[in-house]
Amino acid sequence: MIAKSWAEEVLACAVSTGADFAELYGEHTRNQSVFMVDGKIDRVTDNLLSGVGIRAFLGTRTVFASTSDLSREGLLRCAASVAAAVGEGKREQAVRLNERIFPNIHPATVVPSGVEASERASLLREGCFAAKEYDESISQVSGSLSSVDHTILIANTEGLYTTDRHIRTRMAVQAVASRDGENQSGSDSPGAGCGLELFDRVSPADIGKEAARQATVNLRASYCPAGVMTVAIENGFGGVIFHEACGHSLEATSVAIGASQMAGKLGQQIANPKVTAIDDGTVPGAWGSVNIDDEGTPTQRNVLIENGILKSYLIDRLGSRRMGMPMTGSARRQNYQYEATSRMTNTFIANGPDRNEDIIASIENGLYCRKMGGGSVNPLTGAFNFAVTEGYLVRNGKICEPVRGASLIGTGSEILRNIDMVGQNLETAQGMCGSASGSVPTDVGQPLIRVSTITVGGR
Amino acid sequence: MSFEQMKDALVAAAERAGLEQYEIYFEQDETVSVETLKEEISSFSSGVSGGISFRCVVGGKMGYASGELMTPEAMEELVSRAVSNAKCIDSTDEAVIFTGSPRYETVDLPCPALADPALLRKTALELQAATYAESGKVGDGTQSYMMSMVSEIHLCNSNGLSLSNRVGTTAGYQAAVVREGDEAQEAFEAAVGSRFEELRRLPEAAVRKALDKIGAGQIDSGKYNVVFDGEEFRDFLATFSDVFSAKQAQLGLSLLAGKEGETVAAPCVTVTDDPMRAGYAMQTPFDGEGVATCRKHVIEGGVLKTLLYDLTTAKKAGRESTGNGQRGGYSSPVTIAPYSFSLAAGDCTREELFTLAGDGIFITECKGFHAGANSVTGDFSIESAGFRIRNGKRAEPIKSFTVAGNFFDLLKSIDCLGNEVRWSPLGGFTVFGSPDVLVRGMSIAGK
Repeated sequence: MIAKSWAEEVLACAVSTGADFAELYGEHTRNQSVFMVDGKIDRVTDNLLSGVGIRAFLGTRTVFASTSDLSREGLLRCAASVAAAVGEGKREQAVRLNERIFPNIHPATVVPSGVEASERASLLREGCFAAKEYDESISQVSGSLSSVDHTILIANTEGLYTTDRHIRTRMAVQAVASRDGENQSGSDSPGAGCGLELFDRVSPADIGKEAARQATVNLRASYCPAGVMTVAIENGFGGVIFHEACGHSLEATSVAIGASQMAGKLGQQIANPKVTAIDDGTVPGAWGSVNIDDEGTPTQRNVLIENGILKSYLIDRLGSRRMGMPMTGSARRQNYQYEATSRMTNTFIANGPDRNEDIIASIENGLYCRKMGGGSVNPLTGAFNFAVTEGYLVRNGKICEPVRGASLIGTGSEILRNIDMVGQNLETAQGMCGSASGSVPTDVGQPLIRVSTITVGGR
Repeated sequence: MSFEQMKDALVAAAERAGLEQYEIYFEQDETVSVETLKEEISSFSSGVSGGISFRCVVGGKMGYASGELMTPEAMEELVSRAVSNAKCIDSTDEAVIFTGSPRYETVDLPCPALADPALLRKTALELQAATYAESGKVGDGTQSYMMSMVSEIHLCNSNGLSLSNRVGTTAGYQAAVVREGDEAQEAFEAAVGSRFEELRRLPEAAVRKALDKIGAGQIDSGKYNVVFDGEEFRDFLATFSDVFSAKQAQLGLSLLAGKEGETVAAPCVTVTDDPMRAGYAMQTPFDGEGVATCRKHVIEGGVLKTLLYDLTTAKKAGRESTGNGQRGGYSSPVTIAPYSFSLAAGDCTREELFTLAGDGIFITECKGFHAGANSVTGDFSIESAGFRIRNGKRAEPIKSFTVAGNFFDLLKSIDCLGNEVRWSPLGGFTVFGSPDVLVRGMSIAGK
């Protein structure tokens, strides 16, 4: 993509006014998607993103510039603009790069860009048709099959020169069930860090059926009552609760500047002793995994909370400088136009001591959240919200009728203490996480958990 | 390669491929931004990015391909990728390359230019200093942010249409973090402008907003009269703007389908889309298909006047496009979206709305619309914060509650409107505006 000699020249230019570190991030990304709605392939998109981002540090001050002009002149112009903004005068520094190859632990056997759009379209058709055929109340189905083929090059003034290629694939199906002028919806969207071989183990028809199943359940659901309740949250995407309620508050982006409720709490008991939470970017082929982060640091398994005690933050290079702590392989960015910041990869609550049936049986009056939608958090106050996309009332230890339109709200520090039962069926699910450095793929996960008390938004 | 060179290469490649109907869309964006922390510049960034999209009609189907590589080989490849992508489309929607509108409005803004980075640095530092000076309670995490962007678009097609537009904006954003005892709160304010004088109100407003939140308590669940701050109610319009898309309606994904001409909202409700509104930095005379844009009432006096159409949905409905076929970016296909979309103001001051509410709540913060609201069903349940209204006056701060309902019911139950439309200052091409809104008897979940 960018020859080593050019990279050396560009980095030398970026630090020529006194910066103490500079990095170059180059990218070629092919995004290909097919979309289906109303039983027909409606759109095919196919984009090749290419550009570089150059960043220089002077202490904890950063200057960043990006360009889609990959010519030598374009790169040097970009580096010169960084140099001009970061320092003054002239301080020649030679840059010597050494190529390094990191192991690839996320192989792809069927590379999507090598497969005709029509073949990808037939996989999607299978998913959408299965949703439509699931029940006569299903009035509309839409879906997409997206693949990303992402090649990056990272070089920095510490001598690193390396490339990585990462492929990911995801199918999403949304089903709408209608009756008497009312619509209800359901969706499913599994993905992984691999090629189209994903569909050897995940059947497109099952994706469609799952979306349709949720839509039909919601069609017979009445509105969720509002109030404070005991809530059981199922595995898989239920893990979004930890992602929002705690994960974002552990990112150096907010911790390092004192804008996190978790700042200064390492070693403290912040959660119920049953809670152990991990961020692991090394899970082979997982949706949120990468071989190296977007600053060239290999990803690792970070134990964030162990038996309720805060053990680690998620730290990128700038965070490391600000906090005086080592980097954790957590630097991520949507693309070359964003500066990398500390982000999550695959984040989950580990299996705990409680049997799942005991968790449900323990609830006298409450809510069982089988499927969760997304959510958001303010890292400073820890105030969060999540949507419940499939919920059931629980009475006398039994799961009863479905309810819809519920959300859960609270604060991170409270909910971590209120998770008082942790089950044993850990599973992860896929999401796109949006933050300062754009939208990145992340896995969330947990076993079934019980939250002793939380505000349920309903009516 | 310049745009003209790329265009020539694409036209030549299209002709070699035997294509008769095709379109070239080119976008180039420049941005510059400055961030401050602890009264110092912490980060400075700038970017130039641009891409080109080629779409063409093959066998009646529309194929797209796009990219950022600007080489002759890349142009050749764009055409072959677009042709191959067209072949797997089986939608029966008619693919149209537009022939042109009789006339296009002229943008009445000065030619936008990227702000001087030195000015942005100066303003960001002034904002930061002014914010710390507001109160001794202002502390770490307080950030000032300045950004400037310009975007240039060229659209030309095989029917001889050739259009271009250049838009841009410069804005300031202030986050204030305040601490009192163990409690930390933050608030944000943003406004368009590049000089401190234009943004002078941000530090005071952000700090006051953050301080006002200190000591917030919880409220009991129940039904309350609610006054929504226009800055929050506009997020409802943004979240549910899809229900006004003719495409969603034709697919049965909007409950407004088939309701044009019917009453869908309270009589005080008028909703307008105005692509050339004075003060709208992204004034856009043509849409992503080359159709002239126009001002229109979507809802007038509670009656749904029109949905928003692009060429394909208009053809299907046997009517004209409303010029709402937007390209969200060079790599996005045509999608129906509004430009400058707002609920019209009424005539009450905020204080009069409080008086009318009597006993209720004033909502000044709503979060998590992407998860807590569903435009297909209209249902929402949204994390909120604000103040109690007691005896017609704003009272103590409250937090950690949700407001729940259904958007279609909400439109019908709007009781009274404030007299000032509050616009979103930043964001992409689409901006939303709303006055304060009084709605009675909304479901609130608290303690």
